[in-house]
Amino acid sequence: MRALLFILPIVLALFGPVGHAGAEVKKPDTFTRATASTVKSLDPASAYDMASMQKVENVYEKLIVFDGERLDRFLPALASEVPSLENGGISADGKTYIFKLRPGIKFQEGGDLTASDVEYSIERMLVMDQSGGPAWMLLEAVTGDSSTRDKENRIRPGIFERIMNAVETDGDRVIFKLPQPYPPFMGLMAKSWASVVDKEWVVAKGGWDGTLATAATFNKPDPGTETLFKTMNGTGPYRMAAWEPSVQFVFKRNEQYWGTKPALEYAVYKIASEWSTRKLMLQTGDADSVQVDDQYVAEAMAIEGVKHYKLPMLAVSIAMFCQKIDPTGNPYIGSGKLDGHGIPPDFFSDINVRKAFSHAFDRSVYAEEILRGISTIPTNPIVPGLPYATEAPVYEFSPEKAAAFMQKAWGGQVWEKGFKMTILHNAGNSLREGAARVFADNIMALNPKFIVEVADMSWRDYLTAYRQYRFPMWMNSWVADYPDPHNFAQPLMSSDGSCSKYMGAVIPEIDELVRQGIVTIDPAKRAGIYKQLAHLWYEHALGVPIYQSTEMRFYRDWVQGVVANPLDAGDTEWIHRLSKH
Amino acid sequence: MLPYVIRRCLLLILVLIGVSVLVFGILMTFSPERRAAAYVTSPQQAKDIPKIIQQYGLDDPFYVQYFRWIREIFRGNLGWSLVAARPVGEAFWRYFPVTLEMNCFAAPLVIFCGIWLGSISGIHRDTWVDHVTRIFAIIGWSLPTFLFALVLLMVFYGYFNLFSPGILGDAYSMFIIDQPGQFVRYTGMYTVDGLLNGRPDITLDALRHLVLPVMTYVIVVVALNMRIMRSGIIEELAKDYVITARAKGADKHTVNVKHARRNALLPVITISGQLVALSMEGSISVEVVFNRQGIGWWLAESATQLDMPVLMCICLFMGVVFVVTNLVVDILYATIDPRIRLN
Repeated sequence: MRALLFILPIVLALFGPVGHAGAEVKKPDTFTRATASTVKSLDPASAYDMASMQKVENVYEKLIVFDGERLDRFLPALASEVPSLENGGISADGKTYIFKLRPGIKFQEGGDLTASDVEYSIERMLVMDQSGGPAWMLLEAVTGDSSTRDKENRIRPGIFERIMNAVETDGDRVIFKLPQPYPPFMGLMAKSWASVVDKEWVVAKGGWDGTLATAATFNKPDPGTETLFKTMNGTGPYRMAAWEPSVQFVFKRNEQYWGTKPALEYAVYKIASEWSTRKLMLQTGDADSVQVDDQYVAEAMAIEGVKHYKLPMLAVSIAMFCQKIDPTGNPYIGSGKLDGHGIPPDFFSDINVRKAFSHAFDRSVYAEEILRGISTIPTNPIVPGLPYATEAPVYEFSPEKAAAFMQKAWGGQVWEKGFKMTILHNAGNSLREGAARVFADNIMALNPKFIVEVADMSWRDYLTAYRQYRFPMWMNSWVADYPDPHNFAQPLMSSDGSCSKYMGAVIPEIDELVRQGIVTIDPAKRAGIYKQLAHLWYEHALGVPIYQSTEMRFYRDWVQGVVANPLDAGDTEWIHRLSKH
Repeated sequence: MLPYVIRRCLLLILVLIGVSVLVFGILMTFSPERRAAAYVTSPQQAKDIPKIIQQYGLDDPFYVQYFRWIREIFRGNLGWSLVAARPVGEAFWRYFPVTLEMNCFAAPLVIFCGIWLGSISGIHRDTWVDHVTRIFAIIGWSLPTFLFALVLLMVFYGYFNLFSPGILGDAYSMFIIDQPGQFVRYTGMYTVDGLLNGRPDITLDALRHLVLPVMTYVIVVVALNMRIMRSGIIEELAKDYVITARAKGADKHTVNVKHARRNALLPVITISGQLVALSMEGSISVEVVFNRQGIGWWLAESATQLDMPVLMCICLFMGVVFVVTNLVVDILYATIDPRIRLN
């Protein structure tokens, strides 16, 4: 023991001075972020998670970018000006977009940027169309189909010709010819998948040669086989210094950058899966910013020397009702009958049941106690922040009205016999769990014969199960790909939407309005369409929006230049805007 | 001994086949949709799940998928790790040195401290030394590793600003990135590579980053070895040959160390072998908390994301480790106790 007492101070002295959490700026030329999000691919044509897209967006550039916090205004990047109706960059019929290229820009490896690089980059992304990748959006815009492959995974005849005919060059101009007007097109061109790569360099690396003959060979690459999976050569303000997958990613300033020279020389993204470790890194100043999950926001706010930004996201979570539940061995609907011990598979097809559940959601308690004033509750899936977003009526919390609708439901059988079911949410999401419990508690308070349980499931199991129509009621979410109401109306409201499909409801009026919304270019008409959709959501009581996420971003107070764009979720960070002092 | 070793090596093949069929079978109990969901990171991508199932044949019969996997193994393709974003084989050789490096420091300490403390405790049975070491053992063994690791990190890093998490400090990490030609990763273990590159400062920095993980692992695990050793010593000291040795005038040190401790070592060797084998899987909590991307961290992430090729690879690896460890333990048995013959 005496030896231990003797050795300990020596060890401490050897390994460095004792000191409290540092308040001075550490590594003034380096921005460090600790995150749990690992990069999946560095290929702009494949990157479709925030961690990967952030790496792409700081090394590569697009023709245009969003103007700071604004989603409805753009700034030219590689283009010399933003196309508009006024400058002739957008045709009157909304089908042709012309981008004029900024001259004299070089790629980091020395190649010159040309219009054919832009054409190649967009075509390459569409031709690759990786499963689970981002190509579907621009494919829908430039070909009218959201995939190069049919349901049997076979390549659609003529799809590559359509892609290659849709993008053309004329000198320093790049021309996009769309089969029909597509209002979100500009927003799509401002995201990472529209990044421009050096054609010659990619071909030299063994990538697609840009010809029709070889297009099919490069379609649906397996993860990791993309040509640009682990190598980068953009025109952006930073270059990749190192990528150690699942360990760290290091940016180094591009000293030859054509634009304003970034203030910071390095940016390091370190993987730290454990929150306590990330918290300590922020506390000691070893990290300038860390990923803070919802449940740790209060802890992060208590850290001294740390500032936070509230970032209202274009993202919504909705409690959804399934109207055609798969009853096969389904534990979430009890007996599968309306006998007091379960619910029938079409339980929610009765609008009275849906309205009763909607009235049982106590918005004010939920906002105050669960959302703690951070996130907000939207009235419909087309959330504030989106163009044409509008307020719609909501079913205010009213146990009396909820009881009245339950008494009418299923000809009074629901009230008389009672029911038993389970509300599902994905594990680890306290906001959704809270919403599920609010619904369950308030419904059970209506009638002692009502039994509503709450259960959770890992996200991937959850994703699989709701797609098999297993859940009677579940919490689903959607995060914007691009800032347009179509990106919310289609997946969340139409009968074939990637989320709403699993509600099992077909409302032709909604489907038709969603279709009209994307082909209408007159802003006034579009506004009318989305207003109608918001009201139809209310009328049919299809689901209950529970929150529009507000992301809390935490930085050491010496970090300056953070710009909060509602599309910049997760690891997204524009490093060239940051400085430390 | 050689025929025995050959027999055990042949047994290894059977073990690997058994393990692979078992683990593959368990993973097949997940639906094709669930396995395809491993490729999905956002609700947007969910619509591609049917295409992913078809692309990778996830709905093929069990035997078709199993033999396809075996065929790829023989081609040297262990699959793609979604977690590590690189081929499984490549990722393994990236993560394994991190775990091995920690074990190279932790395992000898676990064995040495276990034997030493267990011997002291057994020899001084029912004295204050015995009580202190036993309490130490109970606390160590019952401490949740995750919690203990966090406490150490909070005290030594959060409060004293010492021993930061990770594998290497930022300055050295940036040096290696900026000067790629000046530092070669021969082994993937910075403590060794630092010396091989003539950079003892990097070795020292890597050692600093090992202090807390090794300390956590040793304190939590040493208790088991210590208690086995203590029981063994107490049992041996009560035997007739010890009384005889004492009657013949052998001094205390000779009796305790040369006679009793040697015989008490056999069960400790067995346990140590198991502990070393287990540690090759990486201590998940230690690697997660101290942000060391080793096999344990990889396993934890892969299990939560159902990264099948990784789970298969690590299970097979553990099969090899356990068979080899048992072989080594058997050989050590024969060396320590000449009465044991390996035939």
